[in-house]
Amino acid sequence: MKKLLTLLSPFAPDHSGAVSVFFELGGLIVICDAGGCTGNICGFDEPRWFENKCALFSAALRDMDAILGQDERLAGKVAQALEETGTSFAVLVGTPVPAIIATDFGALKRMVKKRSNGKNCLAVESKGTAFYDAGASRAYLELLKTFAKEKREVQKGKIGVWGATPLDFSRNDAGKLIAEALVSLGIGEKKEDIFCYGMGADLDAIQNASCCEKNIVAAPDGLEAAEYLLEKFGTPYEVLYPFLPSKLKKELEEWKKSSGKEGKKKVLVIHQQFAANAVRNELEKEGKDIEIKVGTFFQYLPEYGRKEDISFAGEDDLLSELENGSYDLLVADGKFRKFLKRDSKTKFIPFTHFAVSGTLEESI
Amino acid sequence: MSKAVFYTAEDVVKRGKENIPSELLSSKNLVYSSPATLAYNSPGAQGFGVKRAGLALPGSVMLLVAPCCCGRNTAAMSGDGEYADRMYYLLQDETDIVTGRHLYKIVDAVKEVCALQEKMPSAVMICITCVDALLGTDMERICRKCEEAVNIPVVPCYMYALTREGRLPPMVSVRKSIYSLLKPAKRRGDAVNILGYFSPLQSDCELYSILQKAGVKNIREIARCTDFAQYEKMAEANFNLVLHPEARYAAADLEKRLGIPYIELTRSYDIEKIRKQYFLLGQAAGFSVDDTKEYEEAAEAVTIFRNEYGMISFSVGEWLNGDPFEIALSLLRYGFAVKEIFGTLGEGNFVYVKKIAALSPETKIYSNLSPSMLMYEETKENTPHAVLGKDAMFYHKTTPGIPWNGEEQFFGYAGVKKLFLSLAEAMKKGGNKK
Repeated sequence: MKKLLTLLSPFAPDHSGAVSVFFELGGLIVICDAGGCTGNICGFDEPRWFENKCALFSAALRDMDAILGQDERLAGKVAQALEETGTSFAVLVGTPVPAIIATDFGALKRMVKKRSNGKNCLAVESKGTAFYDAGASRAYLELLKTFAKEKREVQKGKIGVWGATPLDFSRNDAGKLIAEALVSLGIGEKKEDIFCYGMGADLDAIQNASCCEKNIVAAPDGLEAAEYLLEKFGTPYEVLYPFLPSKLKKELEEWKKSSGKEGKKKVLVIHQQFAANAVRNELEKEGKDIEIKVGTFFQYLPEYGRKEDISFAGEDDLLSELENGSYDLLVADGKFRKFLKRDSKTKFIPFTHFAVSGTLEESI
Repeated sequence: MSKAVFYTAEDVVKRGKENIPSELLSSKNLVYSSPATLAYNSPGAQGFGVKRAGLALPGSVMLLVAPCCCGRNTAAMSGDGEYADRMYYLLQDETDIVTGRHLYKIVDAVKEVCALQEKMPSAVMICITCVDALLGTDMERICRKCEEAVNIPVVPCYMYALTREGRLPPMVSVRKSIYSLLKPAKRRGDAVNILGYFSPLQSDCELYSILQKAGVKNIREIARCTDFAQYEKMAEANFNLVLHPEARYAAADLEKRLGIPYIELTRSYDIEKIRKQYFLLGQAAGFSVDDTKEYEEAAEAVTIFRNEYGMISFSVGEWLNGDPFEIALSLLRYGFAVKEIFGTLGEGNFVYVKKIAALSPETKIYSNLSPSMLMYEETKENTPHAVLGKDAMFYHKTTPGIPWNGEEQFFGYAGVKKLFLSLAEAMKKGGNKK
């Protein structure tokens, strides 16, 4: 049955994606929920939360708030918390409750701004029904539209990276590794001039986003932001997944060696689209006779795929693809291993995706 | 930027129960999310939330009908452990929410989940969330339809976080759901149920021996039922012992439906109160309790700790197995000092604050949930000798302490003994001596 999960558990939702973009920016993040969504985001989808202090709050909505729509009360609480915590802006993040009661986030933003003497208030109308990439994408746009309004002089060597969060890269130190990888690829000159929005770059870097000479889009959730910057400031962008984990590269290499010369090999790679494409590129490096399909449960952009690539709508799609595809290799998050039957001849190589398993690369 | 807000016990008592400072009330502010509040925001993140609690019914499986966000933290549960192959999800999208079409899919989803099992489950628990609370879904009706389709019990579990401070919070409601499958049976004078927790009481708890000495041969707890047949025998109980207030509603339901009366005991870390409670239990149930040995052993554990480490000071948190105010009061009565309490004040525990104020008026009371806790700083002045509770350990990371929030449930004199033994171990590790 479509939408019935019997092998997987649900993926990271849109509000987790939004929070992961805002997490390091020093604002007051308010999850408009009853508490459970906040618990899920913090306790499960935001690995940095256990290590770093963040002004992250639950609106603690109760039945009467939902029934009566007490937005004035919520705006008052947000303004008060802005004052108490000394934070300079607020972000309201939606969940199923405000989606159902049709909360007017535009009005809420204005109310908070008014009550906090002009402090900026942003909102991401996530609903909890979409996946993390949809929320991250909206969060990037909301940030740019609020803070990166002015065109600044372009500075040579400055590079912006969009689509870099732990949900996409499954590492808490991905910002640093991305910068190192881009410098080694000759895309940037100095690590300090590479700004990973979502991991490492601060609010100042967002405000000065138009200074960048070029933007790198590391995940589909960063694409809308890059397109916005291209349109508004003329900043060019390139789609590039900067690095693959060394353990994965080694395992892919070993598989290539051991797979021998007996005929064409079939490979299925499942991840966010750009990461999966990077695995495909890695396997195709030596021009071996391998047929590689990319599949994703997340945002699929046909212009960055091949006609044989697949957008999975549910577990059934993947099960039938594996049954009919006769794959020699499946590269995917460890949670997908159970899709292979016990007697399957398909080799499995794990490629961690935090948005799927909630597992960090370094903890494996 | 301001500082973390606290009130002394004396301040709080002076203001009175009707005038608790707004900084200490969760409903008056945004709720701060730090590792110290994880258990408040999401009881299931660690420990038992509705989903895991619903699966306490032996042999059951659960279908969560919700948007993807509500089932996210169960990814941690669905590994190879106890809950592998017991959690299933029917995801709601926006159209489902607008049209309610997901309700027509539930019967087929339940059939598919049952068909996947090697052996038919004892029951299917259908967990629904804030979404269906707001949609006004009649889940009991849908469960009846499912039962007709699969011929096994199908039970609703309401994970309505929106109602957590209402008359029927989720953790109260789920307890009623769990015991709702008990059917009228011939009652036996030698059978008693212990209600309240989803994991068993510590095996050396004196409550077992007290009941056994009184002639009770069958002491049943949901966590010790290994199959559905054992669970069904809980309907034979002569009376139920309620050890957690969140089980009161389920016990009242069992009294109404099956005629099983209940007696409530409070978890206390004060040996005098424990003794009094056992005396009253004996009176109510018609047997005498001789707890002299256990009382003396617990008292000795306290004395040994006090002799070893002196009249040390504590910070007590609320993310532990107990009420922070009750534990703080017990520590004060044993002669220790309590510098801070991180707790959520309410009608139920205000009575302890009055007694705390009389013994230690300067004890500071913080609410973990207050936005100002973002600014909490550990200083030399507020650092105690030892901390109790996982949240308190978050604030005092290098101070010896115990989380005291494990799955095994400590109770009575055995709980007091274990508490002080565990504290002594933590102090020893921290290199502390008198």
